[in-house]
Amino acid sequence: MAFTKLPAGVRDLLPGECAALCDIRERLARKFRMSGFEPVESATLEYYDTYSRIANAVAQERMFKLADTDGRLLVLRPDATLSVSRIAATKLGAPRARLSYFTHKFDLQPSGENSAREIEQAGVECLGEEGAFSDALTIAFAIECLKETGLADFVVEIGHVGYFKGILSECGLSGKDAEAVRVHVNAKDGVSARNLLEGAGVRKEAVRAVLELPSLFGGAEIFARAEALTASAQARSSIARLREVNALLCKMGYEKYICYDLGTVRSLGYYSGVVFAGLAREMGAPVMSGGRYDGLADDFGKHVPAVGFAMGLRRILVALERQGNLPAPVPVAVAFACEEGAEEAAYRAFTQAVSQGKRALLLPGYGREDLRGVEAAEKYFATKKGLERL
Amino acid sequence: MIYFALSKGRLAEKTAKLLERCGIDVSVLQEETRKLVLETADKQFGFFLVKPADVPVYVESGVADLGVAGKDTLLEEDRDLYELLDLGFGKCKLCLAGYPARRSALTGGHLRVATKYIRTAERIFAERGEEAELIKLNGSVELAPVTGLSDVIFDVVETGATLKANGLTVLEEVITGVSARLVANKVSLKLKSAEILPLVEKMREAIG
Repeated sequence: MAFTKLPAGVRDLLPGECAALCDIRERLARKFRMSGFEPVESATLEYYDTYSRIANAVAQERMFKLADTDGRLLVLRPDATLSVSRIAATKLGAPRARLSYFTHKFDLQPSGENSAREIEQAGVECLGEEGAFSDALTIAFAIECLKETGLADFVVEIGHVGYFKGILSECGLSGKDAEAVRVHVNAKDGVSARNLLEGAGVRKEAVRAVLELPSLFGGAEIFARAEALTASAQARSSIARLREVNALLCKMGYEKYICYDLGTVRSLGYYSGVVFAGLAREMGAPVMSGGRYDGLADDFGKHVPAVGFAMGLRRILVALERQGNLPAPVPVAVAFACEEGAEEAAYRAFTQAVSQGKRALLLPGYGREDLRGVEAAEKYFATKKGLERL
Repeated sequence: MIYFALSKGRLAEKTAKLLERCGIDVSVLQEETRKLVLETADKQFGFFLVKPADVPVYVESGVADLGVAGKDTLLEEDRDLYELLDLGFGKCKLCLAGYPARRSALTGGHLRVATKYIRTAERIFAERGEEAELIKLNGSVELAPVTGLSDVIFDVVETGATLKANGLTVLEEVITGVSARLVANKVSLKLKSAEILPLVEKMREAIG
């Protein structure tokens, strides 16, 4: 094997695509800053125990591990939200914080065609905030951020894990069976869900409610159907919350960007309330995902209600490329070269252009012909007599 | 346009018949051709004919919006997809099979299992906490116990004719109710719901 080759699941970003990615990062960083978020960066290396001993442990087989000099096990950051949660619970004194991050997380065994082992995310966490308005604000901001990246054709799909948990609690299943039902419902696989529930001797009405979950998606009209299906207080209060969030988002003008799916349940532990995902045409997997995770920081020693989301920047880049909406590269505005002895004049002109906000380039080749192949709006050649426009 | 990934062979033929009953012109699927992307005349549908194990790959990636694949393939590939309908055809079971006299091997300390479904077998034996040496084969799995390559096989059984012809029997039905499923990409179902949902309804009615 060639020693210059990269391992599976990671990639280099080359000029062009990297410029486009940097452009997206800059726009998002500005958006985050202007919207009241403060940037944080968590360490790339952490202890294995930090992620293996918590209630929402990251699966052992998905963490990149290294041994520390004292023999303790380290991991490469396996999750962005967990590490920001840890920071909020252990290092921030204030009860509230709005944090943003640009980070890379690592997944030893990514599953699926649209996943990688090194995942670049940009996200925000609104810590110490509760209520429907907080949910709605976060979803609205997620939509604004996706628009900011230049994505044209996308929707944000919203659900609530409490609805599923409420219906599930009526079934009286063991933890293992409950997780299996979640997997089936999340895959809209009614056949397997029915087999499992009937095999476990679950009551007819509870089975019927679970089997309706895969088809409970669409617009706000599904709320009435969802309420009629169950008497579970948890399930019904979840729908009441979604109605509030929906009303707020509609008033804020986001109706055309949102839809609902009560059957999308990515995990039973991590999220505690509303969950949402950004789906873009031309990309087969979500480009953004988030939700409310009020209990996540408990394991780190502090109860911090929170809601947030993360965008997968490389997936967004792929979607933009397929949609034909990649940010156009910024051309060089002005290029300089000089003859021997005119270096100082050329360098002064070059730094002046840069400080004027022009994208500039200075070539060290001492020849007019050096500028011939350069794409720039203006070209200058500095001689001992002065600047000569080409 | 809705892109459909179909596994070559019997499943594709049966799916074509089902789509025809839903009022879709599937004549492109019946023509003799070497083209890889087949589009209906009205440009409503495009079909990819691929190997069975590749259907979940195309659908998960979003290159295909919909696909038809056996539940055995879906279990083995374990992809992030929606499984929308049980189409009712391609029925079979995933079984452990071998010589009746070797039934005791199933509970022995070290079982050699030949199979095409290596990940499914791994998962099943791991759940049971049993040791098994898995031997990955790509076809004619029944040959393995006959030649002594393995003690048993883990494979789909439809009629059991091949097993019988080689003196083998089903020792345990591990996963029953395997059949063809309509699968969808998770994003496509939401962003192309106006096209996909009516089709799914028609298919549901057609299979009864």
